[in-house]
Amino acid sequence: MRGSMEAGTLLRGAIYWSFSSHSQRHLLQRARLRRDVLASSSNPQLQKSYQGPKPKRDLVPDWVSNNDSTARSLPIYVGGASLVAVLVNRAVSGIAPVADASSSQSRADLLALGLAVTSILTGLVWLTIKPKSISVVNPLGVECRMISSHLPDPLIAELLWAWESLSSVTCCRCLVVVYDGTCILQIGVAAESPDGEALAVDAARLTEGSVYQGVMKSGSQSYLANLSLYPGRSELPFLPSNTQAVILQPLGDKGIVIIGGDMIRGFTTADQAWITYLGEKLDTTIAKHTISGTPLKIQDRV
Amino acid sequence: MGSLSIGPLIQLGYSSCRLPSNRTRKPIAIRADGSPTSKDQQDQLNVSVLRFTFGIPGLDETYLPRWIGYGFGSLLLLNHFAGSDSSTTSAQLRTEGLGLSLAAFSVALPYFGRFLKGATRVDQVALPEGTQQIFVMSPTISDSEKEEFAWGSYVLLRNTNTVAVLISIQGELCVRGYWNVPYDNGTAKAPILDWFQRQIENIGLGDLKDVLYFPQVPGSELWEMLPNGTRSLLVVPVLQSRDGSGIEMIKNRGFVILASNMEYAYTEKDRAWIRAIANKFRVQLTVCPRLERFFGQFGPHLLMGGPALASAADSPISTLL
Repeated sequence: MRGSMEAGTLLRGAIYWSFSSHSQRHLLQRARLRRDVLASSSNPQLQKSYQGPKPKRDLVPDWVSNNDSTARSLPIYVGGASLVAVLVNRAVSGIAPVADASSSQSRADLLALGLAVTSILTGLVWLTIKPKSISVVNPLGVECRMISSHLPDPLIAELLWAWESLSSVTCCRCLVVVYDGTCILQIGVAAESPDGEALAVDAARLTEGSVYQGVMKSGSQSYLANLSLYPGRSELPFLPSNTQAVILQPLGDKGIVIIGGDMIRGFTTADQAWITYLGEKLDTTIAKHTISGTPLKIQDRV
Repeated sequence: MGSLSIGPLIQLGYSSCRLPSNRTRKPIAIRADGSPTSKDQQDQLNVSVLRFTFGIPGLDETYLPRWIGYGFGSLLLLNHFAGSDSSTTSAQLRTEGLGLSLAAFSVALPYFGRFLKGATRVDQVALPEGTQQIFVMSPTISDSEKEEFAWGSYVLLRNTNTVAVLISIQGELCVRGYWNVPYDNGTAKAPILDWFQRQIENIGLGDLKDVLYFPQVPGSELWEMLPNGTRSLLVVPVLQSRDGSGIEMIKNRGFVILASNMEYAYTEKDRAWIRAIANKFRVQLTVCPRLERFFGQFGPHLLMGGPALASAADSPISTLL
């Protein structure tokens, strides 16, 4: 056993382990499931804990990621300083300020100048690809958790998992799933209706609107990076009024997922790709669980 | 409805994969309509317009400072040794020192630039050679779990820079991609799965609590089962917190191993999404409660220990498995 037979702590462990004087490997094979339950630290370790190399902290990548703007302008400063240094060196050493390739000093100066200019240009290129920092706009509305109650458990679990993933990984703040003419999920922040509750989704109106029709016709994801510029905004009244970005993902040809975010262009291209796959998975699951068609009719608060 | 044919619909990223036929696995299809098209189209969305390029396809201008650094640095040295007829002055030595350090800085610039936000990865790395592509799953899992594993592994391979994925949830395995398996192509699944199980036990991943990310795999071969040319490795544990007789415990339910043939393959965002996918498998566990019931019944007793457990725990295991 793994060195854990100190007296006192493990009397109970000792009773258990006295059964088998076999090797650890034999125990592992017999008790695959038992292993998981014994994972708490006070118990003797049944299996090896991970002894391999641990990842070490990388200084340079961490520094560059954390000091993004400094790192971007660093080559410019270095290049500019070297440029000045070359000219000063040339002036101080009493050489005539003529760019003349005949002497080796001039050639060396020219090469150093060339390198300095390269550095400056690289810094400029880095500055141009700097993503604009955009601030988060907190959505105005009320918290809402509305889910069709007659959905089977696996489907509910999957929908809630989708919400958890989106809200923790992306800038998503509200999620609406409409399938087959009914809203089966509305979760997150919703616009406030006149009586103070969350504004429910009018699925019938949504499915007739141009936003839905357009997405269904194209069959592919639609990313509205800046919702305020979009004329079809009025067809999504259930989203908070200051939702910044929206992704509309079709579920096959029967449903749609509407994801509202709190930052302009808040969804990256990686997010878009993942959301596409998420949509396909949800579509498959919903289609699998609603063959009869009736369970989607009733809405209920969770 | 909801069914499903295998085959050409499942495309693995940059390679077309012919999945080994597997009679015990229910065929699964992921409909691919509506997926975003090429990566170039995606890249143009977020990056500003000004980009210096020669326009030569296949030439990566990000590495231009490196080539300039090498070229000018060598010219400087050439100039120093062969260029001057008289002895070198101190001014020239200063210039050359400055030039050489600038050259070294230029050489290092692409390396720094890789970690900036908004940097796109253009390096195309070849697929590992000498390793075969496999797709096996434990036979003892239900059909819905098989679909989950198949979808999860497909998405991970497709959407990240991954060449190999291994999912292990409560001892059930799903292995997909290029793995360094010492078996031929036509062998049955069972020995392959056993081999992976032994490898995992040797490494000791059953008790993992933290995410392990090796952006640069250490030089010596890290694990035997990884394919040749693995440069990054990510291991994500699937944890579940359970209340066992009033004690909050974080239990390791399994893990997901991802191997890539690029260095620094997984950005923060990638890792966050991979954790979300790993959580999906955890969610699947709560939905399939047959094993949970077993744990719930015996969990607290196992904490107290005692000989009664060994016999009590024995038979349900054999019947469940």
